[in-house]
Amino acid sequence: MKRGKSITVMILILSFLLVSINAESEMKPKNNTKTDNKVLLPVKNDPTISFSVWFKVGSQNDPKGKEGLANLTTMLLSEGATKFNTYEQILEKLYPLAASYSGTVDKEMTVFRGRTHKDNLKEFYTLYIQAILNPAFSETDFTRLKSDVLNYIENELRYSSDEELGKEALNRFVFEGTAYEHLTEGTIESVKSITIEDVKAFYARHFTAGNLVIGIGGGYSKDLPTKLEKDLSILGGTDNETLPPSAIKPQPRPIRGMEVNIIDKKCDATAISFGFPIDVLRGDKDFFALYLFNSWFGEHRNQSSHLYQVIREKRGLNYGDYSYIEAFLHGGGLNVPEPNTPRKQQLFEVWIRPVQHQYKHFALRAAVRELKKVVQNGLTQEQLDLTKKYLYNYSLFYAQTTSKRLGYQLDSKFYGVEDGGNYIELFRQKIKALTLAEVNAAIKKHLQFSNLKIAIVTSEASKLASSLSADAPSPVKYDIPMTDDVLKEDKEIEAFQLRIDPNKIKIFKIEDMFLK
Amino acid sequence: MTAGAISGKDGKIFPFDYKTFTLENGLKVFVIPTPAQGLVSYYSVVRTGSRDEFEKGYSGFAHFFEHMMFRGTKKYPGAVYDGLTIEMGANANAYTTDDYTCYHLSITKDNLEKVIELESDRFQNLSYEEDPFKTESGAVYGEYRKGKTDPYFVTYEKLYESAFDLHTYRHTTIGYEKDIAAMPTMYKYSINFFKRYYRPENVVIVVTGDVKLETVKPLIESYYKDWKKGYVTPKIETEPEQATPRIANVDYPGKSQPILAIGYKSLAYNPTDRIYVAAGLVADLLFGETSDLYQKLVLREQKVQSLGTEFNENRDPNLNIILTMVKELGDIDYVKNTILDEITSYQTKLVDKDKLAKLKKRMKYGYLMNLDTPDKVAGGLAREIALTADIEGVNTYFVTLAKVTPEDIRTALKEYFTPKRSTIVTMKGAN
Repeated sequence: MKRGKSITVMILILSFLLVSINAESEMKPKNNTKTDNKVLLPVKNDPTISFSVWFKVGSQNDPKGKEGLANLTTMLLSEGATKFNTYEQILEKLYPLAASYSGTVDKEMTVFRGRTHKDNLKEFYTLYIQAILNPAFSETDFTRLKSDVLNYIENELRYSSDEELGKEALNRFVFEGTAYEHLTEGTIESVKSITIEDVKAFYARHFTAGNLVIGIGGGYSKDLPTKLEKDLSILGGTDNETLPPSAIKPQPRPIRGMEVNIIDKKCDATAISFGFPIDVLRGDKDFFALYLFNSWFGEHRNQSSHLYQVIREKRGLNYGDYSYIEAFLHGGGLNVPEPNTPRKQQLFEVWIRPVQHQYKHFALRAAVRELKKVVQNGLTQEQLDLTKKYLYNYSLFYAQTTSKRLGYQLDSKFYGVEDGGNYIELFRQKIKALTLAEVNAAIKKHLQFSNLKIAIVTSEASKLASSLSADAPSPVKYDIPMTDDVLKEDKEIEAFQLRIDPNKIKIFKIEDMFLK
Repeated sequence: MTAGAISGKDGKIFPFDYKTFTLENGLKVFVIPTPAQGLVSYYSVVRTGSRDEFEKGYSGFAHFFEHMMFRGTKKYPGAVYDGLTIEMGANANAYTTDDYTCYHLSITKDNLEKVIELESDRFQNLSYEEDPFKTESGAVYGEYRKGKTDPYFVTYEKLYESAFDLHTYRHTTIGYEKDIAAMPTMYKYSINFFKRYYRPENVVIVVTGDVKLETVKPLIESYYKDWKKGYVTPKIETEPEQATPRIANVDYPGKSQPILAIGYKSLAYNPTDRIYVAAGLVADLLFGETSDLYQKLVLREQKVQSLGTEFNENRDPNLNIILTMVKELGDIDYVKNTILDEITSYQTKLVDKDKLAKLKKRMKYGYLMNLDTPDKVAGGLAREIALTADIEGVNTYFVTLAKVTPEDIRTALKEYFTPKRSTIVTMKGAN
């Protein structure tokens, strides 16, 4: 870990030097840094204007013991009073405009978004900019929002959304000991310990003029970006940290064999997630090849997903089965990913939606077996061609609106993707150009099936632990007629060896999850 | 649309020029070019939903049938249909509501003809065997089981069953569990269902995005012209006027905070009627985020976890519902009385004129800001089309809205939010 850190520091210093030399020698009069801190997306006929102010801070900057601080600070900005208006007054003023603003926090990125019809720009802009520049940090708002966060962790996440719970459990398992480990919302104990003074100090330290990027899209006038930039400049200073943690890539512990965390709770169905870290980020050489593979294997909420075909379509074991090579949050409610959750370390992740308890061992086996098959054999030319055609068009639905496209362009800036201002178009061209050899080489290089971390939310956890340890066949019975082909393949799936070391299975009680 | 204007063409709210035409067999089509960067949305709205399930034992059938529509035809069997929509990278799905069933695909414009061919084929020539029919009924049962774990679903099911005696709105769209369990035996009925309701005079097509009338019209004419008329009107009973308040309780087997649902019989959709439109505004004025009641119960006293409304637009009188999740069991009566008192008080006093004006402005901008993709334009029109077979109702609604006065709101509250029109359901979890 320490070695990695010092290398990153050196690279950063070098790159700063290079930038300043260039600026000195080539473009003296131009203010290069300013252009660098803006993402503009004018859309002539758009009657609305979208704003995104990105602060280079995230949950990974939460101080130890104060996990959830970035999130709570952002909530106080976007759902609290300013020095000019109470929160009730803000709601009252936004109301006739049908406009709103909101803040989102991920591991590395905090974005403060707003959208208004251009008729209402003046009134909206005042409220939006005041929320960023002049938060009141009122005690009443603080109490209300803190209780909302606690209710989310204690009740919603633990008891009413096992799918999200399973995914968070996997994230925690893979990133143990790194700045990515904790929930963005924090833990029950850490959130309770956060004071209004902590919030004020965090805001003063990280929400600074030197730590932000401005994004504007839609039908705005030419002078708006300059005005926004000027207004935000009163935030002053640069980030106080000489080296923000956002510059450091988390180093998760290598996975050896199959490691399992089971979350034990009373529930009607079992949620399963598994995965491992991958060294591929958006814009990297192998990214598009791996993306295409993943779309074939598990495009989110889509019948084209191979896993979906095997587990849901053929066998009706659950509602859907998908996979990811980039973080995809709140997947239960979204058809396509929301931008602005970029990360320096991504996972390859499989999400099996809840299956009846009797099918849990079988469903896990089926998914790992499919992964093994594709890692060993790769895709066929036919599968590649179909997925290329599919993605070339389907990707247009990733970012249909101005505010989504703006989000993608901010992400391009984060990853350093040179896309000429249109990431989706670059994506389409890259997909179109892929060859079978490239895709299969990327699969071989980055994916595997024998070192996995698996998180399972279920009841009767110890019984599952025993059957996983025994690795004995797990045959299934169906309520509906099945074809002979399916039944024949079932014989192979039910006996598929997962080879889990019993010492690597840990059981957690739900009450202990996200406690500290 | 012109920059700076609140409303669109000729003072109407709907900002796009559109064209409509009707085939000889009664199939009505709307073509609405919108800014779309090469994308097109293709919506087929069937004006049949769970409202039309008037025969005993067949609740939930409209939704089940929606699943069967993906089982294909002789020309394009289900797997082939799926393969083709995957190949074109379509964003495709379907859903069923109380008043209609909707099939929609968003695609690039070069695939439009293929989509017209595929959709016209399955709407005319759907064909499936009994075995896949049975398999699909298993999936629908699974969907019911999934929904049943939601405390709000349990509340809704009880609310509608308590509020209605004769009308088919008595059952929810997914249907009664016993009817769903019997679905595997209904193969023959399903064929009959298709013949009765999937007819051109009962379907409206909406095409939005990067389209031109000149291209779409001949295609639709050629692919749908042989579709035969034959719609059979369902025999839906009229719900008698409710005479007394109704109260019911329901238990939820899981862990949940209690939910209180207060429903008032609503009016059938009528965008020309000021009192109808006024009744709909009650949701926002009395219970919305900036209402006194919301600020009291949610923000200040923090007695409730959430406060929301569901005021529905329907072909027949349905329910206007106020829903709240209460934090403590002991506060249910207090919360209920606070809500009922608020309604009573506005049956005599008037809502603030300025607040009403702000709501009108909000609704206009909210509407206009939500038209930024072809899919949203078509999707936003689906219910209007299901209720009226037209889209002009949107413009009419906003014209009527402009005329609504605080007195109209008071009249709506006095006439339609009365105890004898109410049904109150309390849901308690097994904590």
